[in-house]
Amino acid sequence: MSDQVVIKAENINKKYEGYSVLKNINFQLKKGQIMGLIGPNGAGKSTFIHAILGLLPVLGKLLVLDHNPINERHELMKKVCSITDVAVMPKWMTVQQVLKFVDGVHPNFDIGKAKQILLNTNIKEEHKIRTLSRGMVVQLHLTIAMAIDAELLVLDEPTLGLDLVYRKEFYSKLLEDYYDGDKTILISTHQVEEIEGVLSDVVFLRKGEVVQNSSIEDLNKRFLELRPNRENLEKANILNPISVREELGRKVFLYEEEDINKLSALGEVRPPAIADLFVAVMEERVKEVKNV
Amino acid sequence: MFSVFFTLIRKELLEHKVGLIFAPWIVACILACIIILVYLGITEIGEGEAVFSTTRYEDEDLVNGIREASEKQKTDLIRTALLLVGMPVLLVAGLAALAYSLTTFSDERKDKSVIFWRSLPVSDLTTIFSKLAVVVFCVPLIIVPSIIFLQIISLLSASTFFHFNEIVPFGYLWGFYLAIDWFRIIFSLWAQALWTLPILTWLMFTGSYAKKPIIAALVPIFAIVVLEEVILGTDRFYSTIFERLGPWSRSESLRNIFPEISVVDISDIYLLIISSEFWLGLLVSAFLIILTVKIRSRINYSSVD
Repeated sequence: MSDQVVIKAENINKKYEGYSVLKNINFQLKKGQIMGLIGPNGAGKSTFIHAILGLLPVLGKLLVLDHNPINERHELMKKVCSITDVAVMPKWMTVQQVLKFVDGVHPNFDIGKAKQILLNTNIKEEHKIRTLSRGMVVQLHLTIAMAIDAELLVLDEPTLGLDLVYRKEFYSKLLEDYYDGDKTILISTHQVEEIEGVLSDVVFLRKGEVVQNSSIEDLNKRFLELRPNRENLEKANILNPISVREELGRKVFLYEEEDINKLSALGEVRPPAIADLFVAVMEERVKEVKNV
Repeated sequence: MFSVFFTLIRKELLEHKVGLIFAPWIVACILACIIILVYLGITEIGEGEAVFSTTRYEDEDLVNGIREASEKQKTDLIRTALLLVGMPVLLVAGLAALAYSLTTFSDERKDKSVIFWRSLPVSDLTTIFSKLAVVVFCVPLIIVPSIIFLQIISLLSASTFFHFNEIVPFGYLWGFYLAIDWFRIIFSLWAQALWTLPILTWLMFTGSYAKKPIIAALVPIFAIVVLEEVILGTDRFYSTIFERLGPWSRSESLRNIFPEISVVDISDIYLLIISSEFWLGLLVSAFLIILTVKIRSRINYSSVD
């Protein structure tokens, strides 16, 4: 991973009719990172993604590949590829017309590569977009994205509404066929569990605020999950877990910055799933448990 | 750069092919059928003095008038008739151009495809210019072949009828003037589109932000017209709008400066281009284009999610 900053956001704010959608967002995305922007509905993920793509002006300093997304959007889009919403593909076009159009306007699009990728799908060039299923539209969108030699790929809820097979296939294609270690990917979703294995970094958004911004490696070091033996339940509770949940009748304790040796003596210890960590943070259990 | 522009224009024509390409041709084909039916004596159109029917040629005076007409009288008459024949096509194309200008930006917001278009490296200014190129440059090029087709059908029908009824020989109506007129029509349509540009850009501007563009386009104009009438007691704004929607060669303001403008001609287009009204219109259009670019780049396409 290089130190080259791809996205730099400083004090980003956005209000809609007096309601703050983004509050002092600060974060950096570096070249080679696959970052998950995770948050529940209404957290401001799409707003932030749209700001990055120059679709929406915000207050604060936002630079994407050294470009101001609003003023230099068309220059930026030569280096950025995005799948923001599968519903946005022009329904009146055929697949061939879409490919030809992108080929005509995008200097880094390889139409031959796109057609090659499509051969491995059920999508035919003569198909109209409106006749494709939602999964097929996502496949087409991903095909276009993969055929663009972009530095940054931005995905906003790319698998929303898709069945499990398509979702798995989407992310496996993304990793196997697209990601080469040099490209940077920003994925926004609230379906954490499906991108967990893909990410190098995560940002948790809640009500427009960044509540967690770490690499997966750091999270695995900082947070530990303990499934204590029955006789150690009391001892586990005394160690101030940040959250406690039940799993198949067994209590699972989540700790931050706790000594692994101390926990290992009480039961089975492992790094938490991002989804569980996300739920803990989102449900504000952190505060509640600490207050208790 | 040129290839991007060409791709955008191609996309616009594909998306709006029904209104911009098919509609004028459908009208031209229907008119061609009617003209053929009239010359076959199967039907007639119009009423009273304005009737278009083969029975008119039973009038000896009219037939003699056709036979004895000077070359100038003959070509003037045929040119006027052919221009009139193409009028419905021009009217439909004009309405299609107005509808296109009004809906082109609002439709892409409605179906959210604007997010896809704006995810590609095309500036808003280039997009707007491509849409303007479609209405100003391409629409005239599209409709002129349909008008030529209609004129040829009209001349063929009339010539055949005149020939078999021994009014005049088959080639009597044909001449090189036809080809010259076709070029005149193209240039005058381009001039017309530029003359109407403030209206077209106003419609595009309202379509770029309003939920109901037709209301956003008409209400301010209506308000200004009423206010001017009430406060100043004049109707200058209304006349200006009305003139811009009509043929530029019939504009009162232009005729006041250049009374010699009579028919649509290349030399008349020169008079249009040197008029201050023409440049004022372009200035207003440029201002509206800048506003549309600003709005398109700053409008909120996102929902809170």
